[in-house]
This record gives sequence, C-alpha cells and structure tokens, in this order.
Amino acid sequence: MIKLLGMALILFAGTMIGFQQAAKYAERPRQLRGLAHALQRLETEIGYGHTPLPEALLRTADAAAEPLSSLFRETALSLEQGDGLSFNDSWSQTIQRNWRATSMRSNEQSVLLRLGSTLGISDKEDQMKHLKLALLQLQAEEEAARDDQGRYEKMWRSLGILISLLVVILMV
Amino acid sequence: MLSRVAHLLPQELKSVLERTPTSVQDGLEEIRIREDRPLEIGFRGVSQFVELDGSLCRSADKAYKPSGEICRKLLEKMTNYSLYAMEEELRRGYITVSGGHRVGLAGRTVLDSGAVRGIRDIGAFNIRIAREVIGSASLLLPKLIDRQRQSLHSTLVLAPPQQGKTTLIRDIARSASYGNWPIEDAKQWRGRKVGIVDERSEIAACVRGIPTFDVGPRTDVMDACPKAEGMMMLLRSMSPEIIMADEIGRFEDGEAIREASHAGVSVIATAHAYDLQDARGRPVLRRLLDDGVFTCVVELKRRADGIMHRVIQGGAAAPAAAVSSARADDP
Repeated sequence: MIKLLGMALILFAGTMIGFQQAAKYAERPRQLRGLAHALQRLETEIGYGHTPLPEALLRTADAAAEPLSSLFRETALSLEQGDGLSFNDSWSQTIQRNWRATSMRSNEQSVLLRLGSTLGISDKEDQMKHLKLALLQLQAEEEAARDDQGRYEKMWRSLGILISLLVVILMV
Repeated sequence: MLSRVAHLLPQELKSVLERTPTSVQDGLEEIRIREDRPLEIGFRGVSQFVELDGSLCRSADKAYKPSGEICRKLLEKMTNYSLYAMEEELRRGYITVSGGHRVGLAGRTVLDSGAVRGIRDIGAFNIRIAREVIGSASLLLPKLIDRQRQSLHSTLVLAPPQQGKTTLIRDIARSASYGNWPIEDAKQWRGRKVGIVDERSEIAACVRGIPTFDVGPRTDVMDACPKAEGMMMLLRSMSPEIIMADEIGRFEDGEAIREASHAGVSVIATAHAYDLQDARGRPVLRRLLDDGVFTCVVELKRRADGIMHRVIQGGAAAPAAAVSSARADDP
C-alpha cells in the first residue's frame, strides 16, 4: 500500500517538474515580448512626450505586466528617493534584485544593463537610437526563445512523465 | 541658503559644503563646480575655494576637487535624469531648477550648421541660489511712484551681474501688485495689474506655470517666453498696467518696450551695465534712453554693508537730476 502511494508521489512529482520546465520555455518569449512593448512605450515617452525619466518609467510600469512592471517601478521609486545613486546604479541594482522573478536569461539581462548605462544622459536622438538597438537585440532573443520553446517545451513535458515512470518501474 | 539647493547635490559634495561655517552657508550665493578643479563658493560678495574639511582658502592647491563621477551625478540630478528633456535649456546654456535657482553650464558645444545645438561633455556648473528678499525695494519704490497715474514710472535698472537686479524687480512687482505703496498719500491707491515676462524663469520661478515666489495677487507670468514676443502677448491678452522684463538687450526687446510704453503701460526692465554711461554704449539701450521711454534709471551697486541705489530721473533729458543713495536691506 505504502509502496503504491510512493509510486504515485514519484509519478506526480516527476510530471510536475517536467511541466514546470516546459512552462519556463513557454514563459520566456512572452516576457521578452512584454519587455519589447515596454521599451517601445518608454521610447514614445522619451522621444515624443519629453517626459522626465522617473515619470516615464512609472508610466511604463503601469502599462506592463508583472514581473516586468516592478523592474521599472522600483527604479523610478529609488530615483525619487534620491539616495545619491546614479540612474545606472539604481537600474542595475533593481534588475539584479528582481531578475530571479522573471523567466529571462542572462542575454536579456546584459541588454538591459547596457541600456541602463545610456538612458537619460544624452539628447533625444541618441536615446531613441539606444532604445531601438535594445529592441532589436530583444527581438533576436525572442526569436531564439521561440525556437527553444518549439524544441524543448514538449520534450520536457513528456520527459518528466517518462523519467518518473522509469524510476517507478525500476523500483518495482 | 545651502539647504535650499542641498537636494540637488550629490552626497559627497553636499557633505563637504555642510562642513563649511554656518555663516558662510547662510550667505551662500553661488556654488561653482568644475570637474577635477577646485570647488569654489561665492558668499556675501566674496568667493573662495573650499577644502575637503569645509574650511575656506584662497589658494587653489589644497582645495577639494570634485571628480568626474560627482559631476555626472550632479548633472543627472539637475536634469531629473532626463537630459533629453532639456534640449532647449542646453541650447541656452543654463537650466532653471525648481525654486528658481539657475544652474549655468559650460562644456563642449555641439553645433548644427553653425548654430549651437546643445552642450555635451559638461565640465563646469555654476549654481546661483535664488533668494526672495521681501522689502528689498522698499527704499527705492517711493522714488519710482508716478503720482499722476497712481502707478510706477517706466524704469530701467542697471547693474553688473550678481548685484540683485532680479531680486529687486521681483519685490517691485510684488509691492505694485499688492498695492503696498510706501508713501503717505497713496494708502487709497489700488494694486496694479502686473505682467512679467520671465524668459529665464528667474523672477517668479514658475513650476508648471505657477509662480513659486510670491509675486503678488494681480500678477500674470509668461514663463520661459522670449521677452519681445512675451511682452506683445501680455499686452494683447492680459491688459497689464505694468510690464516687467529681465535683462533686455536685443533689438526686438527694444521694439517691444517702445510698443508697450506707447500703449500707456509702465515698463520696468533690467539690463547688464555698470552705469548709465556704460548703458549708453549699447545701441539698443541708447536708443530707448534717447527716446525717453524710461522716465527713471536706477543704478545698483553692491557694497559690503548692503546694496546702494542711485535714481536718475528723466533718463536722457536731465541726467543726475536727483541723486540719492540708500542702504537697501541686506539679504
């Protein structure tokens, strides 16, 4: 009886691990898409609205979904607190603190960190160029992420079940 | 006075300035920050370098030198992390921050087909702390009153930079607007409608169109507007009885002032000049003075014990007809 219960548990756990991995592959392109939308929004605020950066970040945060919106919101709040950090410092600290909550990888992180070292410190045209560049890089990442999704999402889902099944069979 | 601009300064710079003697902090007028060069402050008419421990010195060798990192942080704070939103200000070479303080900038300019498009590589800052001295014009005001029209004479205020011109005309605007006429038989006069063209946002220090300095209840401010156009716009739209403008000098300014004075409006303007003789060397001012547009000319001189003013009635017609000097309120 107990053995049967253990088998069921192992089967359940294995399946869940597989589904979780699969969900990560499905989530990454979606978040990358959301991030691209957010950066486009930021570009509009900067290029056409001439909105000051803290306010532009807050508006971008309002339009984005979690976990992305907290990246923008927390940066804006730390700027408004004015604890002597430069924009680049606040931005990279916020990103490093919140990165675990997203499904994105280090490639995207370095794109954002590079963007942070240029935001707010040059004229409008320059800002637009840097934002466009970041957008292009994110789009390339998104394509790669979609490929990965097609390749690994299903695999992880079946792999979870199959491996747990194998363990169960070996136990018997 | 340091406390008014402390929120603009990076932590390190702020702590150096906070170590200076309190009397210096209270009288602070200018903070000059140059990248990798000595930190200089101006207070009560003198300027000295600041050492790391907050003591003042005359020699530049031992002075505290702000690093490039500090200058970048300073620029970020002043522009609210948004240099791109300040293009117009960078073209003119200064930023007006909330509170009316003007921050002058110097660095390498960017040209666009011969005209200055902006400044990049900004390496020098001059923070001028705006002060509101209520009553600074009270000694001068009786001499400017036009009894016939129960208003003020058209007046040109002359002084070199840093002598308190803007502070003075802000107080004139406030008094005329409230109707605080400082002479006996004027108690019944009402306040006058005042229009201020505040091209550099220094007189009223508007934040989103609302003055942060008290410029009086009957005062309209055209903020960040070119003087000549602003004067004409006010004249047409707000029916002012007194128009004020800071630092006139261009040809169009002269034309607009002439227009306003013929429309029966008193014009009170300031210009950079050492004295009347000096002002006559500037073509635009000379023509205005010769035409008798200004009935009063005021020269300001700053001494250790306060600001001296000299009123010349009648402008060109009778120079030095009435010379008086008085000690104005020490800010």
